[in-house]
Amino acid sequence: MLNYFIVVFVGGGGGLHSARVYHADVPNLADGFPMDILVANLVATFLLAVVTALHRRQIVSDRTNMLIGTGTMGGLSTFSSFAYGVVVLMSASTASAIVASVYVVTSLALGYVAVVVGLKIGGLSSP
Amino acid sequence: MTPLDVIWVGLGGGLGSLLRWWIGRLIGERYRSDFPLGTFLINVTGAFAMGYLSVLFMVDWRDRHGTALNSLVLTGVLGGYTTFSSMQLDAAKLAEQRGHVPAGFYLLLSVVVGLLAAALGSGLARAQG
Repeated sequence: MLNYFIVVFVGGGGGLHSARVYHADVPNLADGFPMDILVANLVATFLLAVVTALHRRQIVSDRTNMLIGTGTMGGLSTFSSFAYGVVVLMSASTASAIVASVYVVTSLALGYVAVVVGLKIGGLSSP
Repeated sequence: MTPLDVIWVGLGGGLGSLLRWWIGRLIGERYRSDFPLGTFLINVTGAFAMGYLSVLFMVDWRDRHGTALNSLVLTGVLGGYTTFSSMQLDAAKLAEQRGHVPAGFYLLLSVVVGLLAAALGSGLARAQG
């Protein structure tokens, strides 16, 4: 049990660490579109799907799946910043409310594509 | 962003990820269904906390590096606790088992309730403020 604790902790910290390094390089667009969160979420979603598919085929061990899937990719992606960002944009102005709507639809649609492609690349047929 | 901020974020992210794993397990043991209740509840409560604490700490939502407290709690713990990737994976699994309609419903429900929770959290903090 303690081993799993350490694995998830290290994985989660490492994922967020890469997110921080990454966020420093991806600027927010001038219109307020939260590009950094979108990119982090899509990258994490795609890689989580790949690892999950490899885990299903037993190419990746339980522990590696926890480290990378639960820890790193769960830590790299975020829902709280996504949701709060949308709320702030929605309440700011009509223009930013439109940006927020595009952001939500883009995140969900591309996120779903990332999962399907990730599972496929990891070796499973798409759902 | 200083090296110290990275340490705060990493520490918070580790704690948040552990919390997500632990709560996910607790819910998974008690509630058996195709609906991914664990990730749903984690994301909704995390969105509420993000809305509440962001207003409480008086930070602009784009400024996630500000202070050690912001780095540790907002970017770290809440960022590590909530997850976008597992939500999408849950939706894909749901689509495999039950079809695309329940999967789309789960995504839509997560986002709508998550947004309401974030709005409720920030509204509550403002009402107290």
